[in-house]
Amino acid sequence: MSEEAKVVTKQRVAGRPKLLVRQTAGFVYCPGCHEPITARAIAEVLEEAGMGDRTIGVFDIGCSSFLLGLLDIDAVLTPHGRPPDMATAVKRIYPDNIVFTVQGDGGLLSIGADPLLGALTRAEKITIIMLNNAVYGTTGGQMAPTSLVGQKTTTTPQGRDVIRTGFPTHAAEMISTFKGTAYSARGAFNNPYNYERTRGYIKTAFQKQMDKVGLSFVEILCACPANWRLSPEDSLKWIEEKMLPEFPLGEFKSVDKIE
Amino acid sequence: MGERMFIEGNVAIGWGAATAGCQAFFGYPITPQNEITEWFAREFPKMGRIFVQTQSELGSINMLYGAAATGIRAMTSTSSPGWSLMQETMSDMANAELPCVIVDVQRGGPGAGPIRHAQGDYFQCTRGGGHGDYRNIVLVPASTQECCDLVQLAFYLADKYRNPVLVMSDAIIGRLRETVEVEKIEFGSLPDKEWAVKGKANHRDGKRRLVEHGGDLFARYPSYRALLQSLEQKIKQMQESELRYEAYKTEEAELILIAHGYTARVAKEAVNMARAEGIKAGLIRLITAWPFPCQIIREKAYQGCGFLVVEDCLGQVVEDVRSAVEGRTEVHLVSILDRHIPTDGGMILPDKVFDKIKEIQ
Amino acid sequence: MVRAEVVIDEEQCQGCGYCVKFCPRGCIVIAGDKFTPQGYLLPSFVKPDECNTCGFCAMLCPRAAIEVYLNISSEVPV
Repeated sequence: MSEEAKVVTKQRVAGRPKLLVRQTAGFVYCPGCHEPITARAIAEVLEEAGMGDRTIGVFDIGCSSFLLGLLDIDAVLTPHGRPPDMATAVKRIYPDNIVFTVQGDGGLLSIGADPLLGALTRAEKITIIMLNNAVYGTTGGQMAPTSLVGQKTTTTPQGRDVIRTGFPTHAAEMISTFKGTAYSARGAFNNPYNYERTRGYIKTAFQKQMDKVGLSFVEILCACPANWRLSPEDSLKWIEEKMLPEFPLGEFKSVDKIE
Repeated sequence: MGERMFIEGNVAIGWGAATAGCQAFFGYPITPQNEITEWFAREFPKMGRIFVQTQSELGSINMLYGAAATGIRAMTSTSSPGWSLMQETMSDMANAELPCVIVDVQRGGPGAGPIRHAQGDYFQCTRGGGHGDYRNIVLVPASTQECCDLVQLAFYLADKYRNPVLVMSDAIIGRLRETVEVEKIEFGSLPDKEWAVKGKANHRDGKRRLVEHGGDLFARYPSYRALLQSLEQKIKQMQESELRYEAYKTEEAELILIAHGYTARVAKEAVNMARAEGIKAGLIRLITAWPFPCQIIREKAYQGCGFLVVEDCLGQVVEDVRSAVEGRTEVHLVSILDRHIPTDGGMILPDKVFDKIKEIQ
Repeated sequence: MVRAEVVIDEEQCQGCGYCVKFCPRGCIVIAGDKFTPQGYLLPSFVKPDECNTCGFCAMLCPRAAIEVYLNISSEVPV
């Protein structure tokens, strides 16, 4: 009988994407926050498309700003609410780059309303990514445009009431009504199925940009355990029970030509 | 030999910018500078360059931030109320060290009502204008030729110092028609913009670039103090190297007028009228409102010279002059209240300035 | 013979528990006995025989702290 030797090959099946930076001291997200998962999804999409060298990220002030440390791409930090303006300029100057913004719900829908309307009206060929966690995260949990009716925040301690503070804004639906919008979708990271679905939305959004169709938009529901005052696991339940009925997932507009 | 044209100051700004290699213009309509926006809307697409009409002045200044971050020469233009809107991003650009040019064609203030000329933005332009400690070089044209030439200088200085540069015009200079010779001015070589954001494929070393206005927040500087020290250094360098002014008949003058923009032309006329009557008057015309010519003013004050500030506002330049003379001599003022008529079309005219000169004697 | 290996980077882990929740076969648990250098509860990979390398744990880790490997050992004639 011939002798046999044991050979062990180690195959890497899953792990950190190359464009996703491993931060140690600089990482600031709270345990269980979904925002850095957005960086993972973007990194995977860019790597698959081979576009990491031809992408410029435009990041808003807010929790979203720290994503710029997680992605190994050229990046610009903007004054609060302003990414669609910067992205407009950058895209006009480097039209062969993918230019995307990352903003919070307050950054886009509140202080960012003026640049958003401008970009939509002019049908700028940029991708806007909005992280919807229904609060103002960086500043400690105040009411956001997307806060739910009845939701307790630091500026609605009795719960958001419609008489004084109106209703949550539905960005993906609203943006889908503009003629200049090529693509508008809403995703979430509350389970693996939704992660893959949302990553697919980001991929489609970038593709619309590369095909020069029009403005593409992806809204992502993100858990914010720190400001919701919930454990990470309970935050997932809050997304499922409270956010999803108000903010359904899916693609609200997807066209190959804007008219 | 450049091209000679008979054009308005506002239009001359466009030609100056194009000659300097400006690649992008972002603007929002506001009186009295719509001719600038409309010039770029007409001419830039013809040249294959970028023009965007923005949704507001906030859009203009923030698109300018984005364009400047990519390293190209870009500018915006506005008037006083729009300039007020731009201040947060001006502060951010000073921190992020972005070169760009902003034109402010001044109009009356405060508020929205007066759409005609004034010179009330001096403080806001020369003190940074936004929060925190920073300065922008402020160039003040007093003719349509200077509108064309100073815009070219503005782009050069912006790139040299990695800082925004202002061109502070006013509605009179903006709408005044004069002969302009549009010629490219050579200022000297500048370093490559290694720091600019262009997509990693466009960087020789393939490494990513980040443009941000956090300073020490994203480790561009090791500490907040290091950021402030660097800003202070830059302010000192600009002050020492970029002062520009015109001294007209100031040798042996006993009364020196200080003015800028349209009032400088008025003051020059008044100086001529005074000299014709034997009064030893002179003029220092600010070409840079910042840096400010403290040194020469102090020297003249120590020689016993009096000063008469002529400015079309309630009194802003006069405070800088008082500060420079260190109490050594008298400082007088002809202000917006001395215009020839009380409505917003009123102007400071040479007679009024000449009367004041005689009164001081 | 094939064996799965899930490696959790303890410098990165913040003890959120998503990997525990989303493993379809309960291969990762927070036993409560291990901590990261920062003081978060560190999960353990306790059922290598049940792991099918679906990668859900890695996918939803906010720190991308998880690497999933397949160790394939084979007998080769010498």
